[in-house]
Amino acid sequence: MSSALHVSGLTVRHGSVVAVRDATLIAPTGGITSVVGANGAGKSSLLRAIVGLTTTEGTIHLGDRDITRLSIEARIHSGIAYVPEGRRVFPGMTVAENLLVAGPSGRRVRSARLDAAFDLFPQLAARMTHHAWQLSGGQQQMLAIGRALMASPAVYLLDEPTLGLAPTVVDDVANSLIRLADSGATILMAEQNAGFAARVSRNLVTIRTGRIQSAPVEN
Amino acid sequence: MLVAQLALNAVALGAAYALVAIGFVLVLNATTAVNFAHGESVVAGGFIAVALTGVASGIWPSSLPGIIFLPGVLLLTALLGLAIASLAYLPIRNKPPVSVFVTTIAFGIIVTNGLNAGFGAAPRTVPALLGSGTVEIFGITASRQSLAIIATATLLIGMLAILLQRTQLGRKFRASAQDPEMARALGIRLTRITLLGFALGTAFAGAAGLLLAHQFFITPFDGVGLILKAYVAVVIGGWGSLRGATLGAMLIATFEVAVASVSSQSLAEGLLYIAVLLVLLIRPEGIFGETQRLRA
Amino acid sequence: MSPDRTELIQRQSPLLAGGGALVVYAMFIASSYDQRLLTISGIYVIMVLGYQFIFGHAGALSLAQGAFFGVGAYVTGILGSQLGAGFLATFPASIAIAAGLALIVGIPVLRLASHYFALATLALSQLLLLLAINWEPVTGGANGLPGVPPIQIGDLRIDRGVPQLAFVWGLAGVAILIASRQLRPIRVAMFTVMRESPLAVPAFGIDAGLLRLRAFLLSAAFGGAAGALFVHTNRVVSPETLGFGTMVTCLTMTVVGGRFRISGAIIGALLLTHLPEWFRGFDEYYLVMVGVLLLAMVIFVPDGLASFLKDSSWAGQIRTRARPAEPTDVLDAAKPTLNITNVSKRYGGIQALDRVGMSIETGEIVGLIGPNGAGKTTLANIITGIDRADSGSSKSAHIDLAAATPTAIARNGIARTFQTPQLPNELTVRTAIEVAAANNGGHCLTDTVITSCQLINILDAPCGTLPHGVRRRVEIARALAGQPHLLILDEPAAGLAPDEQTVVAEILRAHAAKGLAILVIDHNIDFLQPLATRLACLDSGRLIADGSVADVLADDAVLTAYFGILRQ
Repeated sequence: MSSALHVSGLTVRHGSVVAVRDATLIAPTGGITSVVGANGAGKSSLLRAIVGLTTTEGTIHLGDRDITRLSIEARIHSGIAYVPEGRRVFPGMTVAENLLVAGPSGRRVRSARLDAAFDLFPQLAARMTHHAWQLSGGQQQMLAIGRALMASPAVYLLDEPTLGLAPTVVDDVANSLIRLADSGATILMAEQNAGFAARVSRNLVTIRTGRIQSAPVEN
Repeated sequence: MLVAQLALNAVALGAAYALVAIGFVLVLNATTAVNFAHGESVVAGGFIAVALTGVASGIWPSSLPGIIFLPGVLLLTALLGLAIASLAYLPIRNKPPVSVFVTTIAFGIIVTNGLNAGFGAAPRTVPALLGSGTVEIFGITASRQSLAIIATATLLIGMLAILLQRTQLGRKFRASAQDPEMARALGIRLTRITLLGFALGTAFAGAAGLLLAHQFFITPFDGVGLILKAYVAVVIGGWGSLRGATLGAMLIATFEVAVASVSSQSLAEGLLYIAVLLVLLIRPEGIFGETQRLRA
Repeated sequence: MSPDRTELIQRQSPLLAGGGALVVYAMFIASSYDQRLLTISGIYVIMVLGYQFIFGHAGALSLAQGAFFGVGAYVTGILGSQLGAGFLATFPASIAIAAGLALIVGIPVLRLASHYFALATLALSQLLLLLAINWEPVTGGANGLPGVPPIQIGDLRIDRGVPQLAFVWGLAGVAILIASRQLRPIRVAMFTVMRESPLAVPAFGIDAGLLRLRAFLLSAAFGGAAGALFVHTNRVVSPETLGFGTMVTCLTMTVVGGRFRISGAIIGALLLTHLPEWFRGFDEYYLVMVGVLLLAMVIFVPDGLASFLKDSSWAGQIRTRARPAEPTDVLDAAKPTLNITNVSKRYGGIQALDRVGMSIETGEIVGLIGPNGAGKTTLANIITGIDRADSGSSKSAHIDLAAATPTAIARNGIARTFQTPQLPNELTVRTAIEVAAANNGGHCLTDTVITSCQLINILDAPCGTLPHGVRRRVEIARALAGQPHLLILDEPAAGLAPDEQTVVAEILRAHAAKGLAILVIDHNIDFLQPLATRLACLDSGRLIADGSVADVLADDAVLTAYFGILRQ
């Protein structure tokens, strides 16, 4: 099994606080790898470091390519998509605009991807002209995932996709993630809800006070 | 009859002010920075038109309508905006906002005194956009300049709306205004958005300079009054909202025209400044409320 | 000579040396024109010193300093030329009216943040300018009023040249003395907290409104005084004194010289008054250069030329006003120190807190747990007055928390720390603790606190240089220094290594043993379990458990909400 993302020796500091210590992690191509841990264990910092929102020590490989020294924009363009904690959809833009803004510059490719996103999330298609702030939490989560899909990335980074969602909505999110993974996507997910993670993931990793506790376990 | 003419004047003035206020908000949205050189950008637009008129009169014997100079004014003030962004904003964007206030004030000083040195302090005017005089519409005697101002401003605002609403660049601009960090995480280059905001915003201010300079004349020192008006419009309309800024500009212009018609321009301005203070005291979030969260 | 004064002189010694050289130049070398320039410089020193309070120390961009200067000028100009009033009447009147105007405008306007404040002060200036131009009968309109008398005190007439120069610089000296008195180290430290750690202002017991108002009033008073002296030297008052040009001059002097130091005011005023003489060839373009200079200074030398002078004054220590180190044992009296009932709070569509009730007694250490977004920090914010509850009551032994300001709450014995320690980088550990102690009325306990938090070896280190674990202890010491009866800690163990966590737990335990009530918000059960005497759990804004540590950790609702992860 080849690795889509290979992180090695990653350390993240916030000022004087060490949020992640010497983390090594592999996300195999295809399927979902979950990093599970409590609040404040360093999951979000790990993902933010991979996308380039915080500076780090260590190396990050995307496929065969070393992206450690790339700017955040260059990392995105080389095939990483990030779905942050709390969704962070653009509230004043419509559903369609939220998706389109993350798309490639070619108009035709962009609208093809838009169709693909709407195929995966029919709920969004029904609300394409609604403003993002009008959506429910679950719909916003799907919009955030759909927005990532627009870039057709090699790896998705998902931060706590179930945070603050009602149990039935969590099921919806789980189903759409499984569908996304089945379509061949590689996903690295940070999750507090271990039950959810166990349900959707192929591999599980636990993190505790900034340290990866276990090697990937085949679920 | 008189009321209709006054109303037309108010709308024309409001349309020009709206360009200034919209320009201010564009910079605000692209950066959250308050650009204190914005008033001077209006003045610069006016003087660029004065200069272009001078150049044109050397080439073309008969006088040209002011609208001819609009593209030149837009282009040159957009360049001015890029200069403000790269000299007064980008080098210190991570410092406290007060630093940006001071650097943009400094830029305003440079523009004002540069114009004063180059053109002198005397009031200057530019040709009317599409000829002067009046036309009869629906029994109302309307000034051609007022109609031309309204048409030009509407055209520019319409083009901006298309850019922001219908193009990928516009979507990126709006996304960056709403959540810059997330926009970056989508691969949007924020520096480009900043430059775009300053270029567009300053070009809008410059266009307003061309529109205002014919009727009201213009001196290098008018910037302070203009930024206050833009600011009031933006505060009234809700910090950061383009639609609110337009509405705010219309209100200010109506107020100004109404007071000036029964009293003096000075009184109108004085009352306006008092209104600024009152608005800030009572509702600093604007009369129509803060419509949109900008950068956290 | 008192130690105070010796220290002052030592601190200002570069100034005194420079001053001596200037005196020699002014008396023996300078032409009468040069003397006039020096006189004007002295006047600007006073204006800039005032402006430093609001723009430098308070960190607010006031655009009204030119206006206050102009108000001072017009008051003296009108009273002097129209009513023939003498200096002893006009000078105080100029100061008082400028300061009075600042008071009227300041109380509401100072609440406004950043650009709102800047533009409000700009509007005020424009209004006064319009008034000066249009109220012709009184102000003389656009031409102004000629015939302002020279300074005359009784029969003593201060003539142009050396007498005027000496008089103005004498007053500038007085202004410097007042400024240095106002800028006692503790107040400078308070200003620093206000600028750099705004979140922690109430926790330090600082009344930001009052501090800002003081800065604004001082700036206006100094501006008014400078304006009054200016018309005496000019003998004419005109709208230009009120205009934006004066404001730009003042701003440039302050930025070029430096916005914090007294030496900066002197350097800026002297330099910018003489610069036009040295660059005469530039004519109108001189002012363009001023703009370029201002821009370049902000980008390249943000703290002004004075930052090149060696001056240790800001590292100076706060003089503890020699109080007996006799701990008062207020903490021993047993009483419920916090009592909240039925507190609810909504943000937008989210019920952050839903009828939460809780009480904490002296000596208790209550651990508050719950998943992200459960409302823990909201609860801490409501107790400390940063947020207001929609309904319900929260009271402590001394004070109704629902009605008090955050600062009043801090001063009444409820201290807190933050998720990320909020300490200004440049303050030393000692200063940070002493500011909090002095404001929150716990001065005598400072030494005990320093010892118990193990900070004795790093007292003089700036907070910005400390590692995270130590900063955490400094912040706890800052909170304890006010001698609180309730301490609220927001995630004190976050980011700490296990041994550092042990030290923090020991500090807390020691103070609880002396009667301090403690509320600890944390995720880290390993940290809380041995520390807490009681545990409470919030979930989606509801308090789902409150009881002994063992009971709460065995509770089913707690396990699903919080430990879902462990029950797979």
